[in-house]
Amino acid sequence: MKKGTRAWLAAGAAALVLAAALLLLLRRRGPGFVPELLSRDDGRGGAVAEFIKVKLFFLSETSRYLQPVYREIEMPEAREELYRRFVSLLLAGDGAHIAPVPAGVQLRSLHYLAGRQMLLLDFSESLAGSFPGGTAAELEFIYYMVDNVCYNFREIKKVKFLIGGNESKSLAGHIDLERPFFPDFTWIQEP
Amino acid sequence: MKKSIKAGLLCAVLLAAPLLSAPPAVSFRSFDHEGYTRVVFQSDRAFAYSVDAQDDRLQLRLNGRADFPAPTVAVANSPLLEKVTCEQRGEGSVLTVHFRGAAAVRKSFVLEKPFRVVFDLVRVEKAPPPPQAPPEAAKGDAAAEEPAPAPRPKPIETICLDPGHGGEDFGAIGRSKLKEKDVTLRISLKLKKLIESRTGLRVIMTRDKDSEVSLNTRASIANNQLAQMFISIHANSSFRKSAFGSETYFVSLQATDPEALELAQKENQNAEDPGEAIQNDELKMILWNMAQTEHIRESSKLAEAIQNELNQLLGTRDRGVKQAPFRVLMRTAMPAVLIEAVFISNPSEERKLQSDDFLDKIAQAIYNGVSKFIYAYNGSLK
Repeated sequence: MKKGTRAWLAAGAAALVLAAALLLLLRRRGPGFVPELLSRDDGRGGAVAEFIKVKLFFLSETSRYLQPVYREIEMPEAREELYRRFVSLLLAGDGAHIAPVPAGVQLRSLHYLAGRQMLLLDFSESLAGSFPGGTAAELEFIYYMVDNVCYNFREIKKVKFLIGGNESKSLAGHIDLERPFFPDFTWIQEP
Repeated sequence: MKKSIKAGLLCAVLLAAPLLSAPPAVSFRSFDHEGYTRVVFQSDRAFAYSVDAQDDRLQLRLNGRADFPAPTVAVANSPLLEKVTCEQRGEGSVLTVHFRGAAAVRKSFVLEKPFRVVFDLVRVEKAPPPPQAPPEAAKGDAAAEEPAPAPRPKPIETICLDPGHGGEDFGAIGRSKLKEKDVTLRISLKLKKLIESRTGLRVIMTRDKDSEVSLNTRASIANNQLAQMFISIHANSSFRKSAFGSETYFVSLQATDPEALELAQKENQNAEDPGEAIQNDELKMILWNMAQTEHIRESSKLAEAIQNELNQLLGTRDRGVKQAPFRVLMRTAMPAVLIEAVFISNPSEERKLQSDDFLDKIAQAIYNGVSKFIYAYNGSLK
């Protein structure tokens, strides 16, 4: 085989592989957000703190979509602590929007199961005890949590809810809560 | 060399283009096991399809074209399968599995990596020929071997109504303290009366008084009573006070599908070797929850029929037909829907729910939808 032909073939094969890889990459990319890492000093020449900018989505009376709001979280050393701070922001809510969480609900614990790419969120028993009921409200709570978490942290593919440390059949008698939830980004509205 | 690379890239794009638009290559294989036969259609990529099962054949109708090894593939040494054919119809391909005798689909599911559509088929007895005076010679042993009637879908005779919540479970509570559990019971009792008086169908209820019934028990009542339709009645509630309107749900396995597939992949060896018991409890649970899977199409039609009537009679906002993983629906083995009539959390709709006339309208709308569905369903059996 001539040298020129070999070069052509090699280039063609390489290009094929590249094209296939690119295609695969494009097909796998879903909606998501890469939190921005920010550094800030204390203005007195002291320690530099690192923050990440996250994008939270809240419910609103005027739209059927969850609405985006940016927040900053001081970057902790442990990844799970970052998730915990993020979920705390979701529980705390935002004055201008609705956080579909009953008042007084707390996050008891949180675990990330890396092998299953699943975040376990264990809420206080008041979640079920004071849940207002209704299918719409259950779905609002579930996808508020799942979409926000999975949108901001792409390593998390699914979320499983525990209440008081235990699996619960449902929040208020509708949606099956014993299984993990995958995000449904049709709930959120990109600006 | 630069020129070579450019030309190579061009070649790659030209070569890759037809590959990307080429129809999926579909292959077929089958396994005979004790009591059933597993049929697997495997493809190099996922494809959209619908299934039509008759007692003499199973059709997989692909929305697009498929590459199948031959127009006809004979199945050797199978007690149940004769051959598989592939025809091109319009824009799509139809793959037909022809049975030896009569068979029915016991279970079907999809696996990924590679994409596979799997059916478990069981032999069923063929319907006898229409009664006629057979010649004397045909009687005797040969007549005794004549197959028994085949089980065919029956016209709808029993409907299960499920008033949501009850007892200590109040459901949602409106601003003026109206309880969802009371509203759902009142609508259900009205609906029961309508169905029984106008159609003569048997109506069973998961509760007919203010009592607490677990979600699993509700589904069990419907399954054990061999109900052919399950209607769960609810009033909605939202964190958004302005939310209003009616919506009808049927079950969604979408939220669980990837999980089921992931587990199925782990159990991949078992998936095609059912001799080994499935050990994974989570997978067992998912499979059990898929009791509703084979009825999803009918459930969707029922939901649509009811939602159309709610829109016409209630004059409220049409929130549409939706899907969600409802615990009670997942466990029912029949067409099943959950109706969220209006929002008890919306003060204006709560006021309406306090009116007997409005509850009559809701019951009437559901009845209209149900009777239209039954008419179409029973008609399709003729």
